[in-house]
Formats: sequence, C-alpha cells, structure tokens
Amino acid sequence: MSQLSPSLRWIAYASANLVIAFLVLPILAVIPTSFNQASFITVPPTAWSWRWYEAFFQDIEWQSALWVSIQIAVLATLIALAAGTPAAIGLQRLPPRLRAAMTGLFLAPMIVPVIVSAVAIYRTALDIGLNGTRIGMALSHAALALPFVVINIGIALRGVDSRWLQAAAGLGATPWTIFRTITLPNIVPGLVGGAVFAFITSFDEVVIAVFMAGYGAKTLPVKIWESIRLEFTPVVAVAATLMILLAGILFILARMIGTKRNGVTV
Amino acid sequence: MRGDRLNALLLILPATAFLLLWFVVPLCRLLALAFTGEAGGFESLWTLLSSNVYQRVLGNTMIVAVIVTLLTLVLAWPVAYVLTRLKGIGFMLMLYGVLFPFWISVLVRTFSWMLLLERNGPINRFLMGLGVTDQPLALLFNETGVLIGMTHVLLPYAVLPLFSAMNRIDRRLLQASDGLGAAPLDTFRRVYLPLSLPGLFGGGTFVFLLCLGFFITPALLGGANAMTLSMLISSFVTDRLAWSLAAAGSIILLAIVLVLMGLAMRLLPLDKGMFAK
Repeated sequence: MSQLSPSLRWIAYASANLVIAFLVLPILAVIPTSFNQASFITVPPTAWSWRWYEAFFQDIEWQSALWVSIQIAVLATLIALAAGTPAAIGLQRLPPRLRAAMTGLFLAPMIVPVIVSAVAIYRTALDIGLNGTRIGMALSHAALALPFVVINIGIALRGVDSRWLQAAAGLGATPWTIFRTITLPNIVPGLVGGAVFAFITSFDEVVIAVFMAGYGAKTLPVKIWESIRLEFTPVVAVAATLMILLAGILFILARMIGTKRNGVTV
Repeated sequence: MRGDRLNALLLILPATAFLLLWFVVPLCRLLALAFTGEAGGFESLWTLLSSNVYQRVLGNTMIVAVIVTLLTLVLAWPVAYVLTRLKGIGFMLMLYGVLFPFWISVLVRTFSWMLLLERNGPINRFLMGLGVTDQPLALLFNETGVLIGMTHVLLPYAVLPLFSAMNRIDRRLLQASDGLGAAPLDTFRRVYLPLSLPGLFGGGTFVFLLCLGFFITPALLGGANAMTLSMLISSFVTDRLAWSLAAAGSIILLAIVLVLMGLAMRLLPLDKGMFAK
C-alpha cells in the first residue's frame, strides 16, 4: 500500500485525470459556442464568426448589465473590506468565548443557504424601498463576501508577531501609526486576496440578484438567467465566455499575488 | 487591558452592525412571517409538512443530496489520492484543475451543461455515434441533469477536505504495515481508509449541506420535473406571493442545515483548519 502496485497506480492516475477533465472541459465548452455563426446554439459550431460578440456589444441591455455588475461588485468589495478588515483585527483581540461567537456571526452568511438569505433580504428590501437599487444589491453581496475578507485577513494577521506591536507601543507609537507602519504592510496579500474574492463573489452571484434586481439593478448574471429561460440565444454564450475570461484573469492575479483561496468558497 | 477590550469591540462594531441590520434582522423578519400569516400559529409549517406534494419535494431534495454526495466522494477519492503523490508542476496543474472551477459562476457552469446535455447536444450525439442508444436520451430537465450538474459544481468541495486529510497520513505507518507483512488491501482497509475518514466525512457533510440549499443548478437543469426545497421556496415568493409558506420552507431548510452541522461538528473529528488553513 505504501507503494501501489503498477496497475493500481495506473488506474488511480488515469481516473484522477479523467475527473479533472470532467471538472474543467465542460466549463470550456461555452467558449467555442460563443463564436457560432448560426442563429441558434450548436456545440461545437459548424461555422465560425464574431457576430454574437458584435450583437453583445451593440445591445444596450447587455452593455448596461455588464456595467451594472461591475459597479455593484466594486461597491460590494469596498463595503466588505471596510467592515471586514477592522473586524478581522478586532477578532484576534477578543477573549476566546466572545471571539468564537463573533466569528460565528461573521461566517453566518456562508452557512445560511443562499436561497433563505435571498428571500429574507428581498423581503426587507421591499419593505424599505431598497429593492431594485444598486446600493441594496451591493449591501447584499457585501454580506456574502464579508466571510471571505475576514478569513483572508485573519490568515494574513497570523504573520504579524504581537511582540512587534508591543515593541512599537512601548516606543510610543500611536495605534494608528502601529497599524499603518506594521500591521498594514504585513496584511497586504490578505487584503488583495480578500478584495479579489469579494469582487468575484459579487460578480458571479445570481440567487440574491434574481430576487433583488428589479429594473434598476439588472446584473450580467440576472440578464443571463433571464435569457436562458426566455430566448436561449448564442449571445448568452458570449456573456458566459466574458465571465469565464474575467474569472480567469482574477484567478491568475490571485495566484501571482501568492494568496490561496483557502477553505470554503462559493 | 480594559482599553484593549474596548478597542477590539470598536473594531468589530462596523461589521457587526452591518450584518445585524442587513442579514440577521431580515432573516428573523422572514422566519417570523411563518407564524404571522392569515392562519397564524404553526399553520404554515403544518401545511408544508403534511401536504403530499411538499413531502415529495422534501424527499426529492434529500435523495438528490445523498446521491450527489456519494458521487462527489467517489470521484474526489482518486483526485485527492493522486494529489498527495504528485509534486512540482504536475501537482500545481491538478490542484488548479480543482480550484479553477470555484472561480467560475455556478450559472455559467450550469449553462455549459445545458448546452452539453441537450437533445441534439454533443453528449447525445456521442452516445448515438457509439451505438449506445438509437434515440437521444432525455438528459435535461429531469433528475439526471440535476445529478450531473450538481456533482460537477460541488466536486471541488469534496476534493479539498479529502486531500487535506490524506496529506496528513504519515506514510511511515503504511510502510510499517507493509513491513509487518500486511497485504496491500489490508493496509488500505485497516490503516489508510480509517485515517482518511475525517476528510471523507468532512467533505461529505459539506457537500450534503450545500446540496440541500442549492438553487440555480436544479432550477435550470431539472425544472418543474425535479423540484427541490429551494425551488419551492422561490416559487412561493415569485409565483404565489405566499410569504408565510416561503418562511415555513426556509425554517425547515435552515433547521435541517443547522442540526446536521451541529451534529457533524460534535461527532466528527472535523479538521478545524478546514475553514482557514
């Protein structure tokens, strides 16, 4: 067992590679479909063209959906970072029992099934008139993204030795100076990692978005969702390809910064 | 020290206030609707639990979750094992193969499967080309589609805990077992498998819980033929405006998830580092 027999070894490696192919290839199947020339979806296309990309970039609705998605994702990222960064630092200084309880609260949006969060937030947003607004959507996405920010910065903070902070305080540095000159430079990877996850969490999110979008905050995933259910045109494949492209860029970016997407992800 | 404590509380204040206002309060307000409908009391919960239709939806949700969990564990096993044996570029490539799908929207991944599983799609053409079937199989808008799509989306969640458990198995134990004359199968059954169980249960619980609340993939790949609890909750809100029933459904879903999670944390030697390595 410490060394599998050659035939078993071969079976293990072959099946692992097949499973990886099953994971990756179906995602990539969308990309050739987006270069279809026909006016219906065929996989793989029989003739190639850019016509659906032209259609996407000439259609005011797809344009606006892409733009709204980017705006909401940026706003959600800023909110999640602004609330999550101090929270991650504060958590470390709490007594163990309170820290466990607060960690539970901060991770709750990751544990509660999204359909339940979506219906709950939708209801309250309806009652206070924030439904169908970009700020309402950004707040909802920030709640989903907050756990990733807290986790990422929490991991980065483990690299900050508390004796450095004590030494700085002993030398008379103010808390703000200590944060700016010691903590902050050391948690930059966690901040960037948290920001990237927060952005992609919002940009990819569909369930809350489908309920909350209304007319004022129709994001790209909502537009895709509606198109799949109504017309199913090759333009959807273009939108899906653009989303894969953006996720790919962010994936490589996150790898280059050297942060790992640890633990739980959505 | 008291100043420190106060500082820490001030630091967590913005996030706490934000989550209370935009997450906890809305959640409580929704759940309360189950008890404040026209019927009042426990009427909505009772309606949901006693109706044949809803019982079938609940049963279907459970069956899908069990099958998907088993499928993901079987598929995750070889990947996790090979990951523990690979080094360098081979390891990175396989790990990226597991991590990359995380970054792609569930909606996009589900859309992909709609293209592939279509009546005239590549998978049906392939199967017909092989002579496996004469007529295109119905792979979409039924349980089959849901099972394939959900297994695909949730597989990475099973691989990572399994890999982390297997990676911590001390290989010298296996060598010792071999050295003491155990057959490879015995070493596997009595040493390797028990030591990888925490990862197997951890990953399995995780996938099962995610399955129960899954919405996008079953809604698109299964449609009305394969209703799950999350689709039922959504249809209460969007099609019927039956908020108290939606709230009752949410209570049931949330209760199942929380109870199972509590049990898992209590009973399983879950890797505490799973959430933050």
